[in-house]
Amino acid sequence: MISQKKAPYLVIAALFALGILMPFVIKKYHLNMLTEIIVFALYAVSYNLLLGYAGLLSFGHAMFFGMGAFTVAVSLIHIPGLSIWNAVLIALVLTTAVGFITGGFLLRHKGAYFALLTLAFNSLFYAVATKWHKITGGDDGLSITRPDLHLGFTTIKMAALTNFYYVTLVVLGAAIVFCWYFTKTAMGQTVLLMRENEERMKFLGYNTNISRLILFTFTGALAGLAGAFYTLHFQFVSQSAISVDMTTTVLLMTFVGGTGTFWGPILGAFVYIIVQNYLSDITDRWPLFMGLIFILMVLLIPGGLSQIILSIRDLFSGKRRAGKQAAAEEPSS
Amino acid sequence: MTEYLQVQDIHKDFSGLKVLTGVNFAVREKKRHAIIGPNGAGKTTLFNIISGRFRASSGSILFRGQDISAKPAHVLNRQGVSRSFQITNVFQELTVLENIRSGVRSRNGMRYNFFRKPGNHPRISERTEAIAEEVGLKEVMHMPVNALSYGQQRALEIAITLSTEPELILLDEPTAGMTREETSQAIRMIDRVTAGRTLVIIEHDMDVVFSLADTISVLHYGKILVSDTPDLIRNDQRVKDAYLGEE
Repeated sequence: MISQKKAPYLVIAALFALGILMPFVIKKYHLNMLTEIIVFALYAVSYNLLLGYAGLLSFGHAMFFGMGAFTVAVSLIHIPGLSIWNAVLIALVLTTAVGFITGGFLLRHKGAYFALLTLAFNSLFYAVATKWHKITGGDDGLSITRPDLHLGFTTIKMAALTNFYYVTLVVLGAAIVFCWYFTKTAMGQTVLLMRENEERMKFLGYNTNISRLILFTFTGALAGLAGAFYTLHFQFVSQSAISVDMTTTVLLMTFVGGTGTFWGPILGAFVYIIVQNYLSDITDRWPLFMGLIFILMVLLIPGGLSQIILSIRDLFSGKRRAGKQAAAEEPSS
Repeated sequence: MTEYLQVQDIHKDFSGLKVLTGVNFAVREKKRHAIIGPNGAGKTTLFNIISGRFRASSGSILFRGQDISAKPAHVLNRQGVSRSFQITNVFQELTVLENIRSGVRSRNGMRYNFFRKPGNHPRISERTEAIAEEVGLKEVMHMPVNALSYGQQRALEIAITLSTEPELILLDEPTAGMTREETSQAIRMIDRVTAGRTLVIIEHDMDVVFSLADTISVLHYGKILVSDTPDLIRNDQRVKDAYLGEE
């Protein structure tokens, strides 16, 4: 029998194997979509570390995503011969720094004030991206060409989608796996405990302000990494990458998938991108239908798709369910 | 001789409401000191100030000769001060093990580590288990807190307080809301786990106070009325008038 501890690693290995096989199975159009899904999966996972794990509702996550996206484009345009790695690295360093500095201002406040401040900061970054035409291209956006990947012994042509898909799968896949691992580590657990009872954590020697700042910076850097690959994927970036719409997108992905599990937002990104693609093929008014779907989802299943899946699983394993109920009913008796 | 814990002329106003009006007392190392007083005397406020939750309006607190009155709670905890709460203040959704481990790993420097899992650390696991055993919660270690009885939750409150290996332990009414039997059990447990450490305890239950404390301070309307040994406190006319006599 497979031990409980090893089971997640087997799932991860299976998903990677599936990912490696995909280019042989699906059409280019769908591979394009899958690459986009991986990018948004990391973006949503990073957002859920804030929302689901730390209980911080941010309306400014797109400022990191957009910052990462623009940094890659701007550095590839202005620094000749820059490699993909270094472009991504610059984006990571910059979003980390921005996360640390903005976090220092934002995290002085909690709850609704924090949420409104993140919205204000996001709008500020959006305004800069729109007005600083010389650097960001303003309304026109910036076009780039993916540089080839030099590995020393060989060069991989990045113009081919399949090759870029593999790089995305490995790099962003590893980042998502690290996020999952992170939730089990001391810091990940600290974040959870703080959401449960921040007051008590202070009396156990935890500096809760620093903890929150570290988490905020970390999730900002992850969103920046996703943003960097967003630009590399589309070979184009415009101000929409840093707009409040991009924050709403990640918020909806996370809610559709469910904030209660680690993998919920990944599922959310998957469903969101697919539904969006098919709806936009059918009608130009796709945002209207997306909106209706989300309203219904939040009203009817606030726990998201992952809640439905967990309920179905519980239905099939009656034992687990009975155990849970017993635990829940005991204190009231 | 400098005292281990010295509270000097502590005042606390809450927007005009004077809760503490010059509190003075001292605690010797490895002694047990009880603070008693009627409801609203300011006992918990005093604890909130010593443990770094609030800052005093004026006055100072010396811990091992060092002024700690301006230090935040997490810094004080790292220096060896740990407190419990009158209203159970634990991590309700988590298991007993996770609750106790939160402090044990903090003490072992595993607060913000991005790579290591606290559950894989043998010293942390051993210590967590040992503390659970000390307070009598070893059998329920893997149960979520909200499945525990009230008495067990109070024991967990103390276990978490002990989890950072404090030198100075502050217990705020550890037996609040307990039955007689639970209380006497709790006293024995507190007596056991605080052996060899300095304890300051707030308590309403006179049985608890007189069986545990080496010295007692009576807090009355924001001031210490008298500090002395249990025998002398029991026979002090001022205390009888102010507090004991009213019961």
